[in-house]
Amino acid sequence: MEKIVYSLFLVPWVLALAVFLLPGARFHRLRQLITFLSLPALSFLTYLIWNGHLPLQIEAPRWLKLAFTVYDYGLLFYFLYQGIKFRDFLVTVLALFQLFLLTWVLLIIPESSVPDFYVDRLSAFMFLIVSTVGTLICIYATKYMEQENLERENRFVAILLWFLGVMNLAVSVNNIEWFFALFETTTLASYILIRFRWDEVSVKNALRALWMNQIGGIAILLGLLFGIKYYGFTHFTQFLSLSGKPTIVMIPLGFLAVSALVKGAQMPFHRWLLGAMVAPTPVSAILHSATMVKIAPYLILRLSPVIKGTLLAKLLIITTGFVFVGAGLLALTQENFKKILAYSTISLLGLMMLTASMGSSMAILASLTLILFHAVVKALLFMEAGVMEKLFKAKYIEDIRRLVERAPITVAFTSIGFMSMTIVPYGIFVSKWMAIEEASNFLSHGAYVGSIIFMATGGVILALLYFKVIGVMTRKRGEFFRFQLEKVPFVYLFSTVPLVLFVIVGSIFIAKLLCLSVNPVVEAVIGTPAPIIAKGLTLITPVSELYGWQIIGAFVLLLIVPILAYFVHFTGTDRVYEYTCGEKLELNIGTYNFFCIQAVEPFVETAAVALFILTLVLGGGLV
Amino acid sequence: MSYWTAFILTLFSPVIGGFIYGLERIVRARMQGRVGPPLLQPFYDFFKLMDKRSIIIHSFHAFMGIMYLIGTWFALFVLLSGGDLLIAIFFHVLSLAFLVVGGFSVRSPYSVIGAMRELLHMVAYEPLYVLSAAALYLVTGTFQVSGILHSKHVPLIYLPLFFTAVLFSLPAILKKSPFDTAEAHQEIIGGPEIEYSGKFYEAVYTAKWIEYVYAFFFIFLFAGGNHILGALLIIFAFFFFNLLDNVTARVNFRQMVAFHWYILIPLAVINLMLIALWRS
Repeated sequence: MEKIVYSLFLVPWVLALAVFLLPGARFHRLRQLITFLSLPALSFLTYLIWNGHLPLQIEAPRWLKLAFTVYDYGLLFYFLYQGIKFRDFLVTVLALFQLFLLTWVLLIIPESSVPDFYVDRLSAFMFLIVSTVGTLICIYATKYMEQENLERENRFVAILLWFLGVMNLAVSVNNIEWFFALFETTTLASYILIRFRWDEVSVKNALRALWMNQIGGIAILLGLLFGIKYYGFTHFTQFLSLSGKPTIVMIPLGFLAVSALVKGAQMPFHRWLLGAMVAPTPVSAILHSATMVKIAPYLILRLSPVIKGTLLAKLLIITTGFVFVGAGLLALTQENFKKILAYSTISLLGLMMLTASMGSSMAILASLTLILFHAVVKALLFMEAGVMEKLFKAKYIEDIRRLVERAPITVAFTSIGFMSMTIVPYGIFVSKWMAIEEASNFLSHGAYVGSIIFMATGGVILALLYFKVIGVMTRKRGEFFRFQLEKVPFVYLFSTVPLVLFVIVGSIFIAKLLCLSVNPVVEAVIGTPAPIIAKGLTLITPVSELYGWQIIGAFVLLLIVPILAYFVHFTGTDRVYEYTCGEKLELNIGTYNFFCIQAVEPFVETAAVALFILTLVLGGGLV
Repeated sequence: MSYWTAFILTLFSPVIGGFIYGLERIVRARMQGRVGPPLLQPFYDFFKLMDKRSIIIHSFHAFMGIMYLIGTWFALFVLLSGGDLLIAIFFHVLSLAFLVVGGFSVRSPYSVIGAMRELLHMVAYEPLYVLSAAALYLVTGTFQVSGILHSKHVPLIYLPLFFTAVLFSLPAILKKSPFDTAEAHQEIIGGPEIEYSGKFYEAVYTAKWIEYVYAFFFIFLFAGGNHILGALLIIFAFFFFNLLDNVTARVNFRQMVAFHWYILIPLAVINLMLIALWRS
């Protein structure tokens, strides 16, 4: 069993090395083959872990401890070097500060015999996402880079594969010092990936990502320091033993939660994730869906049994709920397709952390469902964004106007992706529904009332956003004269079709999926499974039911019928042009980008800063 | 409510909605000192429209009009069949999606603007309905519509501010003055409806009647198990909303969203918090 866990980290690294050592255009096919191998290999390993005996506690060899310490220093010195090289004040100072804190931690860290790896169902759940969605993105990247820059393809794909291994390792360590090392390694990975194109904007955005994430690293180190000071704790499992105690010192937990907020690109730290869009599209896909930002809800889920019901949890609910609405509002003003997706990721990450901090079994279930479906859908949408960029040269909303006439498949997939984030039978909707109903049980707490308001308004704002985009894509001049599907390269289809199928099939069988696959994870996180029952397709929750016929009905309406609409031709009717009050004008219809909202952007950010500080100061008990 | 009653009620909902619409035109006319059309006028219109020659832009657009009808019908059945209230509310969003996508799918400025405003209507009233589902849960202890209809409590007594808020947002969901920006006949000539004609307009027209039943049933829920009070509430809401329609002018979309978000939702939230605190 230990070997399987280790191979989950090592296999991606070996594959990455193999890809890296095969440069040039000649080995393109071979590299694709090697990258493809990661999908079956990692999925199989995850399958073994999932069916094995969990949780698994693994004692690491002593030399590994030393190796991690050396690696920590190496990493921080590399950050320092980058800061000096690019004359970036913040990167330099933060790296120095981290070096100082790390040394301090190492001086006072107590010896402990707690195992350093802790693999439970939550880790296995993250492995599952990384090894399916993550590897599909890597496969997609081989084709994407072939169309962009074949010479540097090997580097790019190798970094992506290596990143998957790092992510797997990050969600299975128990030692917080090691978690810090891996947290900063994901920062390094995002830094390298964002500056991949080496132009001025890329380097600037990469440095921004670097310093912002370093703040998260500092928060982890501070959390660790205070954990040692107050409790002598250095491992996550030790913190879990605190749950249920009447009075606990919240400072370490406050800092850890803040690091999650930074990693999860919550406002005011959202700009690094927006900056990531200058990199090749697979980078956005992998940062937004399977890896990197998912560390944030993972960390909150790890801590949620301890922070449940505390002031910290309530402030987290309000802060992340505010980001859920605020990021959705700001997304309305954007006209760049990838930026819209980025803002909606920030927004939905807020919702994931909100539900995770609520901490009851139903809320955790909702959070995990969101993580799963969001990973799949965001990967799908970013891949489609890449397809639009490469095949149709469309980057802005204005460019995708009337895309349906040229690219029915791409439009259909993108629409399914967008709809699955708001509309009725899809997984993300189901989790939102469960979260609202769960929050309704605690309405005497202001935070929960806040969460319902945020969920209701945020959801409807995202619906407005997505339908705006769908509307622009599906606009047409007239009938289809001859129906023709666009030619999408095989690799693109290979990596997107499984995701679309998962979204649809997973949503139809949502009841079974939640009971059999997600509920064991809930049990691992907080000890008791959520009280839900699957009866056929019907999902029965403690307070309500989602009937199978409703799911099927919504799917018939949403999927089968619009696809039919491509082929329906009404005969016996006359065709006319649009009504324009008799004016004879060349029509050019733009999109409305809600300029009125730009005015409130500073206020939204100020409020976010205030809430962030409140979370740290009051929630963390610094006063 | 059993599935069969719900099914029959849903099936005849266009007729019920048509009568409500006919009555509304009479009531509105009388308020203005006119006589108004006969009660059956909407049905006369219906048959006349069926006879008209259909003129369409393209089939996808026309098809979305029909889908809007089917979607609304299905959403009404979800509501009446006694299932979860929140899910019924979100099904209503789904049905609106067809109207919106249809509106966006043609290159008509009026239609596109109207579709965008249709979404803004949703932004305005949707949070209020979600909140009221939570409030009804707080009072009756269930999210199931059938449970609310058999509840011993009368939610109206506990949720007066909520009822007021829903009453004031009724024009937004039914697109009546002062919140009729999505249709705005004098301005954007019906918005997303403009490009439909003949049978296809008929579909959109009928869907609007079904929305009447949907919206008034929501009012009915505020009476809980007391169905006579529910009927009275509907009559009151009907007259109130016609009065409002008559005496107000159209506001722009910002004022509409602002009124809902800054006045109605806070009103509802105050009610919600007070009742929750009282109960706990």
